[in-house]
Amino acid sequence: MLEVVYALWRRDMIKFVRDRRQLVTSLTRPFLWLLAFGFGLRASVRLPTGGTDYVSFLVPGLAAMTVLFASMFAAISIVWEREFGFLKELLVAPVPRGAIVAAKILAGSATALIEVSLMLLLSPLVGARFSPLGALAALPLLAIFGMTVNALGIIVAARMKSFEGFGSVVNFVIQPVFFLSGALYPIVGLPRGLRAVVFINPMSYLVDAVRGLLIGHHSFPLVVDIAVILGSAVVFAALATRSFRRMEA
Amino acid sequence: MNPAIEVVDLKKRYAEVEAVRGIGFTVGAGEIFGFLGPNGAGKTTTIKILCTLLQATSGTARLAGLDVAASPAEVRRRIGVIFQDPALDDRLTADENLMLHAVAYRVPRAERRARIDEALQFVDLFDRRKDLTRTFSGGMKRRLEIARGLVHRPDILFLDEPTTGLDPQTRARTWEVLRGLREKYGTTLFLTTHYMDEAENCDRIAIVDHGLIVALDTPAALKQRVGKDQIAARSADPAGLARLLSEKYGIASTPADGGLTFLVEEGDAFIVKLLTAADRPPLEGISVRRPTLDDVFLSLTGRQIRVEGAEGNAARLRAMGRRR
Repeated sequence: MLEVVYALWRRDMIKFVRDRRQLVTSLTRPFLWLLAFGFGLRASVRLPTGGTDYVSFLVPGLAAMTVLFASMFAAISIVWEREFGFLKELLVAPVPRGAIVAAKILAGSATALIEVSLMLLLSPLVGARFSPLGALAALPLLAIFGMTVNALGIIVAARMKSFEGFGSVVNFVIQPVFFLSGALYPIVGLPRGLRAVVFINPMSYLVDAVRGLLIGHHSFPLVVDIAVILGSAVVFAALATRSFRRMEA
Repeated sequence: MNPAIEVVDLKKRYAEVEAVRGIGFTVGAGEIFGFLGPNGAGKTTTIKILCTLLQATSGTARLAGLDVAASPAEVRRRIGVIFQDPALDDRLTADENLMLHAVAYRVPRAERRARIDEALQFVDLFDRRKDLTRTFSGGMKRRLEIARGLVHRPDILFLDEPTTGLDPQTRARTWEVLRGLREKYGTTLFLTTHYMDEAENCDRIAIVDHGLIVALDTPAALKQRVGKDQIAARSADPAGLARLLSEKYGIASTPADGGLTFLVEEGDAFIVKLLTAADRPPLEGISVRRPTLDDVFLSLTGRQIRVEGAEGNAARLRAMGRRR
């Protein structure tokens, strides 16, 4: 059982390593945000935290975004595999459905972890300042959030009929989760209604925790953040396994 | 010993249509059994039920004595499946695809390397084992899938349209591999096809149409059911030949280009009789055409099987488009 999970995990990792172009593309996104948004707005943004530079303030949010995109895309690859038929090979194999889901989630999270590590490693080059130790401590949380998003992606993929629905996934899942997470702005000044939405978004707690660890600014206690991150991972993994079981090849 | 496959009154109803309407048959161990019928006859649905990918609406299917609905996991371990569309991971090498399969089917670690190499050699792809499968041609992919089906030594190998879309040469080569498989490992083969000539490779054939089995027998017996051989005779005096045939043998003939054709039982024997008769018939050439499964299908269903129908082509184009 564990060996099967490992073999399936390894399959995704091999493909990730082979496809270097994808890695470069995925790193372009956070840096584009960092440069255009960070430097573009740096002069006009006054953060309630005082001395923090907006570029450094953005890094935790963009780290979370990197994980969000990477994990979601990794999960959506299931739709691709269903179109190309490989999924059928897995479904007729004497492999528990849960093992397939576990491998997918672990691989999606691992690739996201590699991407976000590189992003954090490179961001000081454009002037971001944060605690390196804090960044190290944030990695496990980012990885766990990667599993959550991957599980969410599997739930979405199980309902997608073809790859054409991909655009709506970006519009209706990825973007709301990203924009309503406090990744780009502090949540203290938000109107009440909007704040409520941010509060039910699990990503907000990840951004909060990572920001706390990197630049010492956070709105919730770290324990609450960690509890939400772990709890949502468990819930979504369970839901993902359920929808994967129901999916027809 | 249990039969390899035992199906009783199997039905599958989708929301709108009843794709399988009460199919029953038994396949012996080591048999090559073919499901022959046009697109949409219910072949793929039946295979999917037998492979545990679909639940039947009613009826039972047992593989080696195991009920597919009650113990899908055990069934999956004993079968190999080769789908209509390639189901390889094309960003992995041939070797990696097979290794993943070996792990998934719990082939003992110590045996994996040897079995994979043997399977690759069996289908003549050993030299390409380190290449990404996306660089493979359609025929090579199909052979690799057959190799993959061998790695865990299944008792029963299911093949859904194993040679659709392959050129004749590759098709012949694939059949060589399949027959070799049965000889070497005693594997039971269950395949679907809409090619008549391909069905002749089977020990027994079930002809399916509209979700029902309309005939089940050996290819030879099925052809015998249609009965007569068709004889084409070339003659400078077709009228004289026609008169001779009707007066002496009571055979009606139809004029054809440069001669005539007629139907007769045991055509080869009849030709000898005709040629050795005292009154030499005005013949320049003569040939016998044995009835084919095409004729069988036509006589059983009143329709020609759609081998290269617009439907099949469209499906194939779609499949090709998807592969891009």
